[in-house]
Amino acid sequence: MFDKRLFEDMDWWLLLSLVVIMALAFVNLWSASAAAGYPFQWKQLQWYTIGSVMMFGVLVFDYRKLASYWIHIYVLTIVMLLLVMFVGKSVSGSQRWISLGFINLQPSEFAKLLMVVVISSFFAQEDKEQYGLADLWKPLLLVLVPVLLIVKQPDLGTGLLVLGIFASLVYYARLKWTSFLIILGMGMAAFPLLWKFMKPYQRRRVEIFLNPESDPFGAGWHVLQSKIAVGSGQVLGKGFMKGTQAQLNFLPEVHTDFAFSIWSEEWGFAGAMILIGVYFFFLVRCLSIAQNARDRFGSFLVFGITAMIFWQLLINVCMVLGLMPVVGIPLPLVSYGGSSVLTTLVGVGLIMNVRLRRSLFQGKEAGKPRLHYRDTASGIGGS
Amino acid sequence: MNFQPDNNTAQKPPDTRIRLKRFDQQNEELRSRLSIYASWFLFCCFCLISARLWYLQVMQGAYFRAQSERNSIKSIRLQPYRGNILDRSGRLLAGVEPSFNIGIVLKDAGDLEALLSKLEPLLDEPPMNVRMKLVAAKGQPAYLPVIIKRNAEWSTVAKIEARLYELPGVVVEVAPSRQYPYGKIAPHLLGYLAEVSLDQLKSGKFSHAVPGDLVGKYGVEAKFETQLAGKSGYKRVEVDARGRMVRVVDVKLPKTGQDLSLTIDLDLQLAAEEALSGRPGAVVALDPRNGQLLVMASSPKFDPAIFANGLSREEWKALNDPLLTPLVNKAIQGQYAPGSTFKTVMAAAGLNENVVSQYSTFFCNGSMKLGRRRFRCWKKGGHGKTDLYKALVQSCDVYFYNTGLKLGVDRISRYASGFGLGKKTGIDLPGEKAGRVPTREWKYRRFREPWQKGETLNYSIGQGFLMVTPLQLARMISAVANGGMLYKPEYILGKPAEKQARVPVKPQALAFIRHALEGVVADRHGTARTCRIPDLRVAGKTGTAQVVRQSKRKQDEKMAWRFKDHALFVAFAPVEDPQIAVAVIIEHGGHGGSAAAPVARAVIERWLQLRSPKPTTFLERTASVPGRKPRV
Repeated sequence: MFDKRLFEDMDWWLLLSLVVIMALAFVNLWSASAAAGYPFQWKQLQWYTIGSVMMFGVLVFDYRKLASYWIHIYVLTIVMLLLVMFVGKSVSGSQRWISLGFINLQPSEFAKLLMVVVISSFFAQEDKEQYGLADLWKPLLLVLVPVLLIVKQPDLGTGLLVLGIFASLVYYARLKWTSFLIILGMGMAAFPLLWKFMKPYQRRRVEIFLNPESDPFGAGWHVLQSKIAVGSGQVLGKGFMKGTQAQLNFLPEVHTDFAFSIWSEEWGFAGAMILIGVYFFFLVRCLSIAQNARDRFGSFLVFGITAMIFWQLLINVCMVLGLMPVVGIPLPLVSYGGSSVLTTLVGVGLIMNVRLRRSLFQGKEAGKPRLHYRDTASGIGGS
Repeated sequence: MNFQPDNNTAQKPPDTRIRLKRFDQQNEELRSRLSIYASWFLFCCFCLISARLWYLQVMQGAYFRAQSERNSIKSIRLQPYRGNILDRSGRLLAGVEPSFNIGIVLKDAGDLEALLSKLEPLLDEPPMNVRMKLVAAKGQPAYLPVIIKRNAEWSTVAKIEARLYELPGVVVEVAPSRQYPYGKIAPHLLGYLAEVSLDQLKSGKFSHAVPGDLVGKYGVEAKFETQLAGKSGYKRVEVDARGRMVRVVDVKLPKTGQDLSLTIDLDLQLAAEEALSGRPGAVVALDPRNGQLLVMASSPKFDPAIFANGLSREEWKALNDPLLTPLVNKAIQGQYAPGSTFKTVMAAAGLNENVVSQYSTFFCNGSMKLGRRRFRCWKKGGHGKTDLYKALVQSCDVYFYNTGLKLGVDRISRYASGFGLGKKTGIDLPGEKAGRVPTREWKYRRFREPWQKGETLNYSIGQGFLMVTPLQLARMISAVANGGMLYKPEYILGKPAEKQARVPVKPQALAFIRHALEGVVADRHGTARTCRIPDLRVAGKTGTAQVVRQSKRKQDEKMAWRFKDHALFVAFAPVEDPQIAVAVIIEHGGHGGSAAAPVARAVIERWLQLRSPKPTTFLERTASVPGRKPRV
């Protein structure tokens, strides 16, 4: 069922950077596991394996089929999130997990990816030159339902992240300037409302971020210790398994949210730059796939998934480096977490899917200046 | 493969459900542009993160590295053992033994009131004291424990250790503490340790100490603080976020303080303190051959250990009793009229100035009239015809009134100074008093009155303005014993003897005085018969110093203790080769012969017992004195 040409169009650089990221993350988790006292690296390897299988599995079918199933996907998302609400497992005050007995899944993670598919298919279908506010209320409504469900868990970070992904796709769809300004104004007006919605611990985090020295042993502890960990790595790091901040448990959540912190501590500026560099290389490759996608849905899908990974990376790294308040957003692939790994890898699978099927549009005209025409109802390759 | 027709897709029927639009050219260019913008945005974010990493890890790296080390590396101070203080034959006067201190680290204590309410029942210490210590420790770093109980009993330690889990911030430290194996001996000389004050730390003189440390505050402990204290070491341990020790990084062992050997003889010191038996007074014994201090006892004593744990109000009051003055080292700080012991100086002056000779006599009928005043001899009936020998042996006042009149105040003062009175001996102890040798100028400066002849008479028998310390007396009698050399009193063993001055008196005169002083002890009428020791030739001179004027007092047994005379005695032995010189004062002890001489006798007897080899022959005591006139 695979066309040989499919693999000719494989982006090997993308795959290579992905493997490098996972390899570095595995090494890092080895050390973090020693600090956390539980062999997370092996479980993560398990997730990598399952995720990779799924990633290649996703290549089998044509991504374009997804667009027509968007309503099913949307309903699935809502049902999952409702399930969490009613039968979810509660860990430290947040009800985010569904227990399947042997594993705990985090539907909000999957929701991110699924919402990318939903929004992308919306924009693919409602094709417009530019979008105004009047055109956006429908997708916004689509997005707000799961966002509110996620925020209710409570998981403000992921909820805002989904909004961020939506905003990125709106940008990609081209927003009217006037609409942009109006949304900006509304967003600023909504901020006090958001503040009201926040739980006390969330407010405290923002306060601490604005004034980190106000409570070095209490709420400011995490950020302070993370900054110390990163900074103390200096240029070449303290060495593998030798990060005192992490190994002596001064760093919290060293295997999940603060995984980049221990990496920077043990491998220094050099190591941090390598990981971040590879990651950004990976993201730029993804963007170029979005750029070169032959159809609107594919392009939106890739851009949305890239945005999903990028925002998580940016928020997590900025949090670890003390540039942002503490929010529970993992660094994709690097932080331990099954749902996150699966979501990310399936997402990358979709990106590859789009890339692989690029040539399917080219047909005979390959190598020549491409003909640009609308392939309206006749499906693919109808030249 | 692109030249091949797209047969794969062509063969397959298009999926009808896939109805997606390909981009037209305009749209494609737009996506392309938006993607490139996004890539630039990504690049900016990458630069932002890189810049932040550069700032944290490269620019601020050293700072954060230090922070992480401060996080994980805790330095535990290892207290040095304080040097021992030994006597002249190496016996331990003050040593160290480990003891338990209980402290509170305020940083970890949290709710202090709740902690104290739990802690106080476990301590056998008044709650007020604990709180006072916490108040006193204001301003010291919060990570250092405030010691609230030193030298805690083992039972207290066990009780607290068992409940440590519910006493956050409470620490039990093992710390070396001073031990006195022979009890509290010579506390005035050895001094004591007390917690270093914040002011002292600021002064920079105690750079080796940290808050909570004990430092020498008095006596030898203070004088040789840096030598005795040693150098503290440290143990650096790695701790995790909960403060549990993970491993020892490195250890620098503390350097034990240097031992200090004193010239004090433990046996003699014990004998002196026992003989004083708590009566206020002082005993000083010197080796007349080199000025080494053998005994320095001041009474009443204090317990040097109580200062370490902070004094209670009652203890402080007791230490500052205005009559007993336990804190004053009476051996160097007590100033007394020397009484008749001064007649030794008078005799030397008289002989040296040729105003009297061994043969010159005066008639004593019990008093002497000068102008309208009558100056009494202590013996009401008088001594009759008296020569110098008899005058010294029986301590005739009238003889020395006459001698004093012939000498005049200036010459008496010159000789008094010559014997080292009226100025500090230079012993290496803080707080030594100079005493006072009066002169005409001094009298005029002080009272704006000229010197009176009657004052010369009082002066001649060691009364009036003249003031000496027991140490000065001991040195004075040492000079008589050793042929006129004034040594600097020295209490550190191994230091060479330091000759300060020679007494300006002919050796023959001193020889005669030695002979006469032996008579004071040995003769039937001698005033110091109580100091006789079989098999040893002892020489001495008693003294009885009036505390209030003779006219005011009644010779009455019921007289208030504090109006009684001070009893003094100076002695040396053996006469043929003096090796020990002793000065004793018993405040308000009454007569020198009955109160002070037995104390000196106890010390000299002890010395005799210890001396090796023992003298086997009892030399004829008159044999060494040339040209002595047969006794009257």
